[in-house]
Amino acid sequence: MVEAFAVASGKGGTGKTTTTMALGMALAEEHDVTVIDADTGMANVLFHAGLADVETTLHEVLAGSASVEEAVYNRFGMQVVPCGTSLSGFREARPDRLRDVVATLAEGTDIILLDSPATLGSRSAVLPIILADRLIVVLQPTIPSLSDGIKVQEYATTYGTGVAGILFNRVTDDEAIEDIAPKAEQYFEGETLSTVSESDAVRGARRAGVPLLSYAPESSAAAAYRKAASALTVRSRDVDTVADRFSSAVIPDEI
Amino acid sequence: MKLPEGRLCRRRVVTDLATPLSRALEDSFTGYARLVPQDALLLDSDSAGILTFDRGIPVIAYHTGTGCGGTDALADIAVAGPYRVELYNLDREALATVHDMSELTVEPGTPAEQLAGVTELAQQTRDRAPDERVDQESSQHAVEAFLEDEERIAEIQDAARQEAQKRASEWGFDN
Ligand SMILES: Nc1ncnc2c1ncn2[C@@H]1O[C@H](COP(=O)(O)OP(=O)(O)OP(=O)(O)O)[C@@H](O)[C@H]1O
Ligand SMILES: [Mg+2]
Repeated sequence: MVEAFAVASGKGGTGKTTTTMALGMALAEEHDVTVIDADTGMANVLFHAGLADVETTLHEVLAGSASVEEAVYNRFGMQVVPCGTSLSGFREARPDRLRDVVATLAEGTDIILLDSPATLGSRSAVLPIILADRLIVVLQPTIPSLSDGIKVQEYATTYGTGVAGILFNRVTDDEAIEDIAPKAEQYFEGETLSTVSESDAVRGARRAGVPLLSYAPESSAAAAYRKAASALTVRSRDVDTVADRFSSAVIPDEI
Repeated sequence: MKLPEGRLCRRRVVTDLATPLSRALEDSFTGYARLVPQDALLLDSDSAGILTFDRGIPVIAYHTGTGCGGTDALADIAVAGPYRVELYNLDREALATVHDMSELTVEPGTPAEQLAGVTELAQQTRDRAPDERVDQESSQHAVEAFLEDEERIAEIQDAARQEAQKRASEWGFDN
């Protein structure tokens, strides 16, 4: 029984990777969680999860030189599949293999979180959105971020992927967000899961190379992510349905 | 609204407006920028956003397509996707008349926040702007104006859907 979520935003730097790790840890308190760095061109999970030095990553798996199991690391109560950052690793990776990776991992976990790229400009960039059951859209309360979020949702629904909810990050004005969030919600399929403030704890966690919930579990940002985790209703589907879903996302062999 | 013609000093296509806005601030640029969306899927693609600067600080904004000025114009200018940015030098005397049109003024930090989405740059701009022009809440109004413009958002949705469909066949995603 599994549901795959893509943590996406369209716009860069909204906090997708931060959110993937923090929400993953919060969800791991009740579920078996697997995080996959599906941002294969600009991988970042490794720096958030203390995995910067590991040898085998998703790149090797996508290049066909390692098995999925070899790229899975048990960290912070989750299974984490980091991706490498080298250009050659990216070039050799066959993005279409991501489907098999997700399908394989789906057999042994409850929740898959796919950290997604900040672009919709290539096949490999939209793949996580296609493979996911639903999106979690990370937004900042600005016009560019909201319009990119709307755009990402439109892509997702066009490709048969739903939206589980939106999450506002890097919020600097707590009162303003109370007016903005309900207005934004009208345009999104999912509700507001949580609001995370611009926070020193988040920056500190990034510098320390560990997820927020491990670095500063008592911070208000960590609490906001726990709130998001409890607001998220996971619709587990059986593995066969998931496999069907993945195979219906037809992906040709050639890049 | 009539803006005297300036001298074109720079022209480029950017995917995000953070670079031209922060350069304008760094260079204490005085003049105006024409911002032309490059997304051919958006309907009124030949209209432009105009943003003037006084020594690096944004002063007025308007949109030639919708005729809106001030904060409302920012909501019209902010689109997803690349822009062609043209910078025109124009001296302060020549700008004085339009800079007096208070209904067109924008709060100094709001363009950085709402056109580029960078809070840090907005703050830097506010720090350099005359105090009486700074209003932290202006950004919120711009976001709300954007979210209240259902037609605009429907346009963004339609354009994104068409793009997603077109790309699906280019990329071979459809069965
Ligand atoms: N709530 C927050 N408070 C302060 N800083 C934050 C917050 N969220 C994210 N950041 C910082 O913003 C930067 C970008 O965050 P992150 O890498 O999570 O974003 P992203 O959306 O994954 O970026 P990209 O689009 O490049 O993949 C990081 O330096 C991170 O520490
Ligand atoms: Mg990231």
